[in-house]
Amino acid sequence: MSHRSLEELQQKARWVRRTVLEMAVSAKSGHVTSAFSQTELLVALYYGGILRVRPEQPDWPDRDRFILSKGQGGIGLYPILADLGFFPREELDRFTQRGSKLGVHCEWHVPGIETVSGSLGHGLPVATGMAEAARRDGKDHLVVLVTGDAELYEGSNWEAAIVAGARRYDNLIVIVDRNGQGVLGHTDPRDDAYMEWSSDGPALEPLAAKFAAFGWEAKEIDGHDFRQIFDSLDGIRDRRGRGPLAVVARTVKGKGVPFLENQRRWHYRVPEGEELEIARRALA
Amino acid sequence: MAKPKIGMRDAFFNALYEIAVSDPDVYIVSADNGAPSIDQFASNLKEQFIQVGIAEQQMIGMAAGLALEGKKVYTYAICPFITARVYEQIKIDVCAQNLPVTMLGVGAGYAYDIMGPTHHTVEDFAILRVQPNMTILSPADGTTAAAMAPWTHRHAGPCYVRFDRAGLPEIYDAAPDLARGFAVLREGSDCAIVATGVMVGQALAAAEELHRRGISAGVVDLFRIKPVDAAALFAALGEVPNVVTLEEHYRAGGIGGMFAEMIADREEPRRLLRLGQHDRFAFEMGGRSVIWENAGLDVPGIVTRVDRWMAAAREGRLAAAGRS
Repeated sequence: MSHRSLEELQQKARWVRRTVLEMAVSAKSGHVTSAFSQTELLVALYYGGILRVRPEQPDWPDRDRFILSKGQGGIGLYPILADLGFFPREELDRFTQRGSKLGVHCEWHVPGIETVSGSLGHGLPVATGMAEAARRDGKDHLVVLVTGDAELYEGSNWEAAIVAGARRYDNLIVIVDRNGQGVLGHTDPRDDAYMEWSSDGPALEPLAAKFAAFGWEAKEIDGHDFRQIFDSLDGIRDRRGRGPLAVVARTVKGKGVPFLENQRRWHYRVPEGEELEIARRALA
Repeated sequence: MAKPKIGMRDAFFNALYEIAVSDPDVYIVSADNGAPSIDQFASNLKEQFIQVGIAEQQMIGMAAGLALEGKKVYTYAICPFITARVYEQIKIDVCAQNLPVTMLGVGAGYAYDIMGPTHHTVEDFAILRVQPNMTILSPADGTTAAAMAPWTHRHAGPCYVRFDRAGLPEIYDAAPDLARGFAVLREGSDCAIVATGVMVGQALAAAEELHRRGISAGVVDLFRIKPVDAAALFAALGEVPNVVTLEEHYRAGGIGGMFAEMIADREEPRRLLRLGQHDRFAFEMGGRSVIWENAGLDVPGIVTRVDRWMAAAREGRLAAAGRS
């Protein structure tokens, strides 16, 4: 399915993570670990021949609409958009700086960004409107959305899931970056002690079954495994009558740098000093 | 001459239906709210009508998605649920992206009187007028409401229309000039009552009574709350030194608050009396008239307040009477 070899995609993923790290370091801001969990998903979508886009013509009417509903992941999307030519790569060096278009969250004045995100739970309702319009107009483009799993606590998602399932939007694809972590703790309780006291969130599981119960086709994959990502999205342009598709992609927050992985204190922190050097070596 | 009373919502939807028949890009999204005037969309224009269920966040988000794809979208629900309940969707999805989504709210102010504060909407002007790109319309009768349908269809940005619930007496024989945003209904030299929505009728009745008491009170229908052409509005008020604002809204942040801001910003030499609901929820039963009586928004209450305030001005007790 991919237009590129597995090795090329893995190189791209490493490059994205390195770029994210340097952008965050230079801005002293940015959600590094959140960007690292979604990296393979975005690399597959943009470099793997899945999303149909024209970087030189960001508003091309027949493009697939991509929404990064977890807006804080913008820092992990910008390197890809720049690399593909949506905007100059120098823009990455100016992330969040005066005069730059690129902020911490996704904003619609950035070429390649379809809608504002950053406040969680907004993306899916907007995506249903786009899916509706595409179907009404007889267009064959897709609406593809990546959401964080902790974002799914927002009830607006489930309002949208009901409508999307009932209206059978088979042009709507939702990929859940299931890194299992919110800011305060895990998105599912990890042990029986949960009910006594825990900073873990209430259980989201069984997540895929929840989407299925709303009339979606639902799959679960390893979100860092390119083969599984491609397999799960195989045939997405020809899903007539099957309803929307949810791919629950298990990921690791901070993936790629061992000391960042699954450590909640790194949600909005940026490595510095010795830790920065360790992170750089891990991604070299 | 007397026109049949028609609810402003129905007047609007009937006019919008004619537009939607000829423009397939018009969408109506409803959060499980209906009316006979809306049934015609559901039965004849099925592809342009979406019922999302009692799901207002979805309604606004979906409307934004449709609008991003070039659709002209109208959303419909009871006033509190299409304003305060979905405030962030309005802010981020609609206003920040300056999308042509028109939010139609029925049940302005205390229209849903005995339903209590869950259904009262006396903060909508305050919260929505601070959102950039937002236009706010507040018709006083069915004639104005019907004219607002083609106006909102042409309008390119976010819009909120605040409808009363019941059929109100018609104020106009022909729709006022919507581009101007207000209409002078009665000239007066002592004071001008600027009112909106259902309170326009109250203002006219109060002005008549004030006239009997020797006070010449003008009446202005402010049917566009935002944007307001302040220069044109104050020019229309002329030399009248006393301005009374009258609204079924909290005194804070409504048209009274707007006038306080405009008077300060323009350094206007005018006194201002703001009539509206005080800083309290209205749990009382007995209907809208009871709430009005308690809030001083019934005609005798309005007349008494204005009369006393005008007398204070004459006697030089400026500060004392304006407060409440």
